[in-house]
Amino acid sequence: DLLQRPQISKCRSPEMETFSCFWTAGNVYNLTVPRILQLLYKKSNEEDWKECPDYITSGQNSCYFNASYTSVWTPYCVQLASKNEIHDKKCFSVDEIVLPDPPVHLNWTLLNTSQTGIHGDIQVRWDPPPTADVRKGWITLEYELQYKEVNETKWKELKPSLSTVAPLYSLKTTRDYEIRIRSRQRTSEKFGDFSEILYVSFSQLGIGCDHCTEEVEFPWFLVVVFGVCGLAVTVISIMLSKQPRLKMLIFPPVPVPKIKGIDPDLLKKGKLDEVNSILACHDIYKTQLYSDDLWVEFIELDIEDPDEKNRASDTDRLLSEDHLKSHNCLGAKDDDSGRASCCEPDIPETDFSASDTCDATSDSDQFKKAAEKEEDLLCLDRQDNDESLPSLANTDPPGQHRNTQSENSLLWAPFGDSLVSPRPSVHTQMSNQNSLTSTDFYAQVSDITPAGRVVLSPGQKSKLGRAQCEGCTEQNFTVDNTYFCEADVKKCIAVTSHEDNEPRVQEQGYNEDGYFTTESLTTTVANFGASTAAAPSSEMPVADYTSIHIVQSPQGLVLNATALPLPDKEFNVSCGYVSTDQLNKIMP
Amino acid sequence: GLLLVTLLVSHMLLTKEGVTSMPICPNGSVNCQLTLEELFDRAVKLATYIHFLSSEIFNEFEERYAQGRGFIAKAVNSCHTASLTTPEDKEQAQQIHHEDLLNLILGVLRSWNDPLVHLASEVQRIKEAPETILWKAVEIEEQNKRLLEGMEKIVGRVQSGEVENEIYTPWDGLPSLQLADEDSRLFAFYNLLHCLRRDSHKIDNYLKVLKCRLIHDNNC
Repeated sequence: DLLQRPQISKCRSPEMETFSCFWTAGNVYNLTVPRILQLLYKKSNEEDWKECPDYITSGQNSCYFNASYTSVWTPYCVQLASKNEIHDKKCFSVDEIVLPDPPVHLNWTLLNTSQTGIHGDIQVRWDPPPTADVRKGWITLEYELQYKEVNETKWKELKPSLSTVAPLYSLKTTRDYEIRIRSRQRTSEKFGDFSEILYVSFSQLGIGCDHCTEEVEFPWFLVVVFGVCGLAVTVISIMLSKQPRLKMLIFPPVPVPKIKGIDPDLLKKGKLDEVNSILACHDIYKTQLYSDDLWVEFIELDIEDPDEKNRASDTDRLLSEDHLKSHNCLGAKDDDSGRASCCEPDIPETDFSASDTCDATSDSDQFKKAAEKEEDLLCLDRQDNDESLPSLANTDPPGQHRNTQSENSLLWAPFGDSLVSPRPSVHTQMSNQNSLTSTDFYAQVSDITPAGRVVLSPGQKSKLGRAQCEGCTEQNFTVDNTYFCEADVKKCIAVTSHEDNEPRVQEQGYNEDGYFTTESLTTTVANFGASTAAAPSSEMPVADYTSIHIVQSPQGLVLNATALPLPDKEFNVSCGYVSTDQLNKIMP
Repeated sequence: GLLLVTLLVSHMLLTKEGVTSMPICPNGSVNCQLTLEELFDRAVKLATYIHFLSSEIFNEFEERYAQGRGFIAKAVNSCHTASLTTPEDKEQAQQIHHEDLLNLILGVLRSWNDPLVHLASEVQRIKEAPETILWKAVEIEEQNKRLLEGMEKIVGRVQSGEVENEIYTPWDGLPSLQLADEDSRLFAFYNLLHCLRRDSHKIDNYLKVLKCRLIHDNNC
């Protein structure tokens, strides 16, 4: 039997106007002795302990403080004492101990019933506890309603609300319900006691369906499960079905790689050789032109495959030139010579791609890569330059120069591309490199300027500055091979451009759709050769092939200035091209 | 999507505490002015919200810092607003003139302006103060300012005579919030939060009494 001391069990105020404290006596003292235990209280602003004013009203072992003794927000301390011994002490303020009385006058009314009569809605109504002065706003109460079926054990709760009415939906009319309500002060946590239980029975009102079978609840679970299974089966069957149309309708195909004119199957299966051959062999004329000259195939960019980086970087640099970007061209730097940068006449891209030589290439990949790069380098997509002279017959000195250059392109047409179609209205500015394009799409890098530009051979750089109106050389154009020296012819044309011979050239040029046969050119050149002028001193030509001196990757290459040994003096060193015979003489 | 969810959740939380954004003026009103009833409604809502926050912050603080320090025993404290003679029971609240009561309310709110500012800033210095406490302190300070504005509007509408002397109690508790000794400092916070909870409850109650008295004629 444990020793239990007297204790103050709780202090409570039902309406924030009065309060009571309750205690337990314990089993220490003889309980028959009356008034042995005393409750003393003290307000915080007082000095003395006073005794409880009312031991009776709240029942046994209680002390009741009426309104005159209650100050709401004042801290109190109470202590339970007997004689000189203090058993327990509590301090609080009245606003903290508010526990309202239960609501009263519960009743319910029927709102409506379901069609089958099995379910019904009711509304429960009640009054606030009579002690709480809600009307004057002294206390604000919150109510919580709980209900359950009569034979259940667990109560269902509604969310606490301030109103004194609450609806209950979808109660079964065949069952009876119990309802109870309790209240608390708003912003408090503790609820007061529960009200009396309200019994709800539909049969009292004569509603209810005694013989109704209970509704089977909709089997949501089964529906969901079967739905998911069916959907999965459908999807799988569609995927596996051979019906292409249905399959495409529901699962549209992913676009496959596609190149115009090429069967996508080839691309898919990765047969690059075949693709290359298709891309390559479109132009038979080219084949004829080059078939005798195996030498051509060996003209490649000096940058070999192992130096992928260099090639890529140079090409990138080339391609990233701002003023060239739009033209996507390769060109020499603009300088004061009036020789403008870039671009040869537009060459239709498709044609060019088809113009890749049909030579049997051992390395189709390299070929392909080179071809792509050449495309970019050689001004295929050049847009018309607005500044370009519309006609070639412009007598302005810069115009002249431009004219000559355009003529050059035309002249060079037969040496290479069958593609070079005359666009007289367009092209005024061309680099000397265009001459290369007209021959074939391999160009040799002769030098790389500090700015990062690549200058293609053959050795035109040294002669570019003097392209203006030099007289024709007295050199005899070697006509023993198919190729003319570009430089020589250019000089001639530059010299005589301002003369009246120009239109002739044009006419001749245009007569044959941009193609010159070597015969016609020979005659033309021969005519020019008649008018002589001071021969430009030939400079040391830059050889077509130079060995790589230093590889400064990725900035570029430094090529050796020395040329290949040319034992054969007959060999026209100013020519850009060496025929195979000559080459054979050179090479050991 | 995330922003929408955040807005929705915050709206729900605010609605729960009774602070919703109400339309200021009905559509089409040209010379729009809130009625006294609307002003009181808003003031009551704000006051309830502030009291709710104060209760929560006190409970959290007590739970976190006061257990085992015996703070409860020392709860017999005096708040700095004790000098303001506010009604202590229902009788007094009903007998006091409504203008006086309004001015008292204003006085209490003004007196709490300064302490709340410092509470919001000093509570951040508490070691490892929970984010909820920090947030609530700031929120209480803001809402108190808003309530003060609203009350001044109400007083302007209701008061017939001249503006009385401003009722105000200065607060000198800042040094106690900055004590070096952690126990003393935490006790100072505990007292301040306890006083805040009590005073916010007072304001909430007085406003409801006034509202029922002035607007609904004692028949809420």
